[in-house]
Amino acid sequence: MGVVDVIWMVLILGAAGYLFYRSVIKKKGHCPGCDHGSCDKK
Amino acid sequence: MSLAKIENETAVPAASGKSHLRPVPAETITVAVAGNPNAGKSTLINALAGSRLHVGNWPGVTVEKKEASFDFAGRHIRLVDLPGTYSLSPYTEEEIIARDYLVSQRPDLVINVVDATNLERNLYLTVQLLELGIPVVMALNIFDEAEAKGYRIDVPAMEKMLGIPVVPTAATRKSGLDELLKNVVRTVDAAAAVPPRLSYGTDIETAAAAVGEELHSRHPALAARYPVRWLALKLLEGDTKVQQEVNLGPDALPAEALRHLRQAHGEDIEALMADARYGLAAGLTREVLHKPEIRKTELTEKIDRIVLNRFLGIPIFLGAMWLMFKLTFDISTPFADWLDAMIAGPFMRWATAGLGAVGAPAWTVSLATEGVMAGVGFVLVFVPVIFAMMFFITFLEGSGYMARAAFVMDRAMHAIGLHGKSFIPMLLSFGCNVPGIYATRTLENPRDKALTALLLPLMSCGARLPVYVLFAGVFFAASAGTVIWSLYVMGIALAILMGLIFKKTLFRGEAPMFIMELPPYRMPSFKSLCLHTWEKGKHFLIKAGTYILAVSVFVWFLLNLPWGVESKRDSYLGQAGAAVAPIFAPIGFGNWEAASSLLTGIIAKEIVVGTMGEIYAPQALSEAAEAEAVTPTLSEDLAEIGGGFLEAVQGAGTAVFSTFGVSSLAAEEEEGLGPLKNSVRGAFTPLTAYAFMAFVLLYMPCVVVAIAMRQEFGSWKWFGVAFVYQSVLAWTVALIIYQGGTFLGLGG
Repeated sequence: MGVVDVIWMVLILGAAGYLFYRSVIKKKGHCPGCDHGSCDKK
Repeated sequence: MSLAKIENETAVPAASGKSHLRPVPAETITVAVAGNPNAGKSTLINALAGSRLHVGNWPGVTVEKKEASFDFAGRHIRLVDLPGTYSLSPYTEEEIIARDYLVSQRPDLVINVVDATNLERNLYLTVQLLELGIPVVMALNIFDEAEAKGYRIDVPAMEKMLGIPVVPTAATRKSGLDELLKNVVRTVDAAAAVPPRLSYGTDIETAAAAVGEELHSRHPALAARYPVRWLALKLLEGDTKVQQEVNLGPDALPAEALRHLRQAHGEDIEALMADARYGLAAGLTREVLHKPEIRKTELTEKIDRIVLNRFLGIPIFLGAMWLMFKLTFDISTPFADWLDAMIAGPFMRWATAGLGAVGAPAWTVSLATEGVMAGVGFVLVFVPVIFAMMFFITFLEGSGYMARAAFVMDRAMHAIGLHGKSFIPMLLSFGCNVPGIYATRTLENPRDKALTALLLPLMSCGARLPVYVLFAGVFFAASAGTVIWSLYVMGIALAILMGLIFKKTLFRGEAPMFIMELPPYRMPSFKSLCLHTWEKGKHFLIKAGTYILAVSVFVWFLLNLPWGVESKRDSYLGQAGAAVAPIFAPIGFGNWEAASSLLTGIIAKEIVVGTMGEIYAPQALSEAAEAEAVTPTLSEDLAEIGGGFLEAVQGAGTAVFSTFGVSSLAAEEEEGLGPLKNSVRGAFTPLTAYAFMAFVLLYMPCVVVAIAMRQEFGSWKWFGVAFVYQSVLAWTVALIIYQGGTFLGLGG
């Protein structure tokens, strides 16, 4: 495994981490019954 | 004879400052849509704006205010859908939300949606809306049903008595909407002053005028901020929330005005005001509504005699649920199998070939196929099941049966210290627990809200369906629908049991009375059903494309780190699973694969099957490759996809007509299970599979529910309670199933 592979892994994990943060932590998940798919403003 | 004196308030008292001088309407018109629960507010907004607000034929669908906007006659109209309320008294969360919005935000106009089949009750709110001094246009909705019942409503007389435009509408048929909007624009343009008002009689009006003068002279800031007449009436009737808000108690009111009122009508001025409002509503109804002399027994009453029967109500509810799951399972399974075959076959092959063609390293091919496609793909396989179930739930909501379900459960709910209204958030939770948690705000007191929220996660949400469908399909093929139904019933039964325990421990006290409107049965339109099914189901697709995708990537890394690990058992996730697996040994699934799946499933229950997909992917893929000695060409793949879809359509069509016959899964049994299902079959027995499903049903709420509970109750306390009791309950129930089954010789 070379340096390029490690960089790709970090990038992929970073993107997955950001996706997780954005959808679960920031937008508080997706559910039916909430405006615009998230319940971030109650 | 006119029952109500109409006063056109064309001039504003000098002392009132600028409080009632409405600005010239701008291009954007803000219109609040207010009305009783189930009067059709959300349907009307959807029809006007082409939006997709959640609509159900049961009260309490709109818990908070929602918005939609559109252009009409060169104006931008912003509609605000307020929660359904019977009045503007500050007793329920919905009433507080609606009233606060109207008083503090002062929309340009209110569309008062009135159910023409329930005129008198709806007019009580109308009367209160008119107190606010905001221009009102009435949408006399469900007018078609009123006419069908033989009701004759004298609309011109209503307009004259109320002093506002009244437009007959039928939102479901989009009838009268253009006229309604024209009246909205016309009224806003003409609203140089406040709208006409109804008189509550000399005594109340004299007292209100005295209080108003007092406000103008001694509290000009309040008079500028609030509609003076409304504020005067609220202070007179002793509205504690308003008193606190404006910091004025009964002592601040002119003594003479209060004394006269009390001498003439007694101490209870709040009751006097309510009587005056009811009097207006009742009198107005008498004047304008003409019902047919002899009313035939309506269809709704005929059906209710059966479904609300003291002895038949609950069995019918359970039967309706069983039918729903049976149909869901039979219709959707052919499509789920088709998707499964597509993802495990052509899609995996294409991804492998595509990545190979661009020279991608081997690990990225594994990440794409054994990680993302196995993880996300195996969740997507169950999307047809989820959509089918959402379709039937939407049908039950739209038809009006859900309200009956809450009604028949009232007695059971009373046993646990709640009332039938608490069952509505629980029914919502069958789709997703999160809106169920938010719907607890329709409950009046904090005790009911907390207790209901604690019991909600026991209602099986759609996210758990993939787990049930996978395991029931593999181990209980012929009776899969019944097995899934039994899990839902188990959830309800355990909610009742836990409610009883909580009632004697954490939540002592009596259950409040239950007054719930039972709307008439309606046949929802197919378009509306499809629209709302999509609204409910699309969130599962969004989840799959966002955090389930992210978790699938994490899981792949956790299954492949430390780098170069030989066996997945030795990976980080495998080690974590193996570490906690002994906890699950007494309940029948003490293997690291099941334990790892349950750990990741904490984030979302669908991830349980996604993780299993990733764990078993290499084995499943190699079996699939062995089964297919020659790699198919692209045209063969496309033919397989098209042919498979046609077979699925045929299979679903057959299932519709043979719901009570042989399950579609029985056919699959003969053809052999898919490779992934084979892996699951090797790791579980029917008994451990059932214990596993029960555990997934009951173990801790997912992360999103946890966040919702934290948001709704302001602390982690109730989530903490739910986490502890559900973990203990899940383990105990699974133990009883597994050990009891083994004792009875069912363990094979």
